[in-house]
Amino acid sequence: MLRLWSLLVLLALGFAQEVTVLTHSSFSLDKGLIARFERETGLKLRFLKGGDAGETLNRAILTKGAPIADVIYGLDNTFLSRALEADILLPYRSPEIRNLKATLLLDPTLRALPVDYGWVSLNYHRAYFKDRPLPKVPDDLARPEYARLLVVQNPATSSPGLAFLMTTVARFGEDGYLDFWARLRDGGVRVAKGWSEAYYTHFTLYKGDRPLVVSYTTSPAAEVYYSEGKYQEPPTGNLFPELAFFQVEFVGILKGTKNLEGARKVVDWFLSKPVQENIPTEMWMYPARREARLPEVFRFAPEPLGSVRLDPKAMAQNRERWIEEWTKVVLQGQSPEAVRRSRR
Amino acid sequence: MAYGGLLVFLFLGLALFYPLGRILALGVGEGFARALTNPYYWERYLWSLEYGVLSALLTLILALPLAFSFRRRFPLREVFLALSTLPFVLPTPVVALGFLALLGPRGLLGVDLYGTKALLFLAAVFYNLGLALRILLPVALNLEGPLQAARVLGATPFRAFLRVGFPLILPALGSAGLLVFIYAFSAFGVPLLLGGPRYATLEVEVYTLLAYRLAFPEASALMLLEILTLALAVALYLCLKPYPLPPGGLLPAPPWAYALGLGVFFLLLFAPLWGLLLRLDLGALASAWASEDFTPLSLALGNSLRFTFLALLLALPLGVAYAAAARRNPLMDLLGLFPLMVSPVAVGLGYLLAYPQLRGSLLLLLAAYALLAYPLLARALLPALRSLSPSLLEAARVLGATPLRAFFRVEIPLVLPALQSGLALALAAILGEFGASLVLWRPEWTTLTLAIYERLGRPGEAPFREALAIAALLALLSGVIFYLLDRGRGRVG
Repeated sequence: MLRLWSLLVLLALGFAQEVTVLTHSSFSLDKGLIARFERETGLKLRFLKGGDAGETLNRAILTKGAPIADVIYGLDNTFLSRALEADILLPYRSPEIRNLKATLLLDPTLRALPVDYGWVSLNYHRAYFKDRPLPKVPDDLARPEYARLLVVQNPATSSPGLAFLMTTVARFGEDGYLDFWARLRDGGVRVAKGWSEAYYTHFTLYKGDRPLVVSYTTSPAAEVYYSEGKYQEPPTGNLFPELAFFQVEFVGILKGTKNLEGARKVVDWFLSKPVQENIPTEMWMYPARREARLPEVFRFAPEPLGSVRLDPKAMAQNRERWIEEWTKVVLQGQSPEAVRRSRR
Repeated sequence: MAYGGLLVFLFLGLALFYPLGRILALGVGEGFARALTNPYYWERYLWSLEYGVLSALLTLILALPLAFSFRRRFPLREVFLALSTLPFVLPTPVVALGFLALLGPRGLLGVDLYGTKALLFLAAVFYNLGLALRILLPVALNLEGPLQAARVLGATPFRAFLRVGFPLILPALGSAGLLVFIYAFSAFGVPLLLGGPRYATLEVEVYTLLAYRLAFPEASALMLLEILTLALAVALYLCLKPYPLPPGGLLPAPPWAYALGLGVFFLLLFAPLWGLLLRLDLGALASAWASEDFTPLSLALGNSLRFTFLALLLALPLGVAYAAAARRNPLMDLLGLFPLMVSPVAVGLGYLLAYPQLRGSLLLLLAAYALLAYPLLARALLPALRSLSPSLLEAARVLGATPLRAFFRVEIPLVLPALQSGLALALAAILGEFGASLVLWRPEWTTLTLAIYERLGRPGEAPFREALAIAALLALLSGVIFYLLDRGRGRVG
């Protein structure tokens, strides 16, 4: 009991020299980098993981009055508007901003600063399609012979799943996307809970039965990187660059931080060259910093031309409705007409 | 045992009721009625019910004869016992992988059961059989005296079982069935991974509404529906009156015939596990041990052992106190089972609201673990405790022992096997729990289960192989710990 009290007292006093960073669970950086930062600044970094990007942001919003961290990393452009509207972030004009790619500065108020970006994209298993024809245009996916080969993630529980859903909205329009999904459903598309299940359970590369999966443009490069020399060429490839969904991940300082100085240093560090050059092979995203060098293996992860971009505001306003309509059509088997009728 | 009740009550108040209340308080709103009038949620509810009830029945049908065959002494008995609870500790994606490797679209057996109800029920039995067995076995062991008496009085073995054995084991059956129902009804991962979103339970909807959409009114409505259902199930079970039985020992058996029969049975039932163990790749284990890219296995293993031990230290007194308080007090009994009735994600979010200053503290994590584990420990202990003859306690009291002293010096030693079995169960729940996601967790606290998920979150062959290797290691580890805890069981009598 005494220990508990002393713990509480310690916590109440707060650790002046500690900065807590709230991240999504895919966060990962080289331990040496973190140790060096701690040595150079005298700050102690603590990371808290709170699930995927959406869950993590929600945890920050939920505890707005008494923030659980000083810095949040990993909210992406699909959640940007929600974060800005919830008013949980402080603006910060970091000196590193001038080194970042200007197109990524999606928040003019500088409350959320871009750290890295990437694309959710369809992956196909090369060996499977060696002597079979690949789908030629995105509409082909809904034909039964291809729908049977595709596994997607549930947009309600997975961020790549949500990105792919938004892609179809952008491509087929508010009305057309439901028809497209209804055809996918009838053709036998499979819906998995999250990225891991889709990739490691259903994808043919890992002995599943679906050679088409929603993943990232960097996945083929990661396959080479983690194959310990087995692959010289990626066993998978990206399909339909025009269906790739553009994602940016941001860092921001949480309102109510007790250590503003430390939090700013951490943001600068996220945007500094060493961290930016470490991000590609740790988190498989592209660095936001202009002159950051990409690792060798990223030659297998070219940036897709002409990808899908949606306005953050539109995404924030419609996300719930899209997920609900998608659930009605794909999981509950309702007809697109009926769902459209109930919009009013 | 008023102190015990007070202790449990205090813990529950801090670790469950208050945080949960904070979440429910956010749920007062118009969405409440909207959720209850949405037919989709009712469909989910009915499916959760169906899954819970049928899983419980199927598990009991298998567990009852199994419990009776385990009353006999035969070679490898303890190994089989330890095996039976293994699935309970395995992370769901790994089990799903094992199942699909056998019965999936390209499964070894050539039958594709993916997305069928059959596969889901098979998985439920696979998961919960050991749990049911553990609860039935201590009672089954004590049935020998009454059954002998019935046979001496001229009943056939079958009739003796029907008229004497079955009524006596009914409370334990109810208790096991109830637990299986609760676990299946509120199952989260298994139905989703093996059946796809079509077979998501109500719990999945609660999770999505809370964690992804912050839709508190809807989530609260569904949560209350869950709590009411489970509370009703518990109340039903509390109507069952247990009988005190004299403790019995193991029976002799035709040694190898038994071992062989059960061996075949387990081989079939746990086929998904064998697939996993056969894939244990020592190279991957070695590369995981000092991994540069992910949490090194050495750290994760240390964390798992440390947290499990600490959480058990908390769960053991709670479980014993709860069992002691609940044995004659139905209300306490109901209350103590409350942690099994609420959605873990709701409790986790409640922690953030209730104790923001404790963010990322070990205390919250351990409290969450203990919350999950102590009811299991108590469930295993209660039937044994209740079957003790009251005259033992009275004798101790007459000889001058205080109630507390009598409890610890007379009753606890007598129910030691049940206590060990309860400990093993609690341990399993903690080891395999992915509930660290309940609260925020820190990378340096990554446990074995989290280390598996971490690797499954990256594309590539090496992470995948490492994940499988760690899963196999987790299975082996819990098997060994189980075996060590259980070995003493046969010698009490």
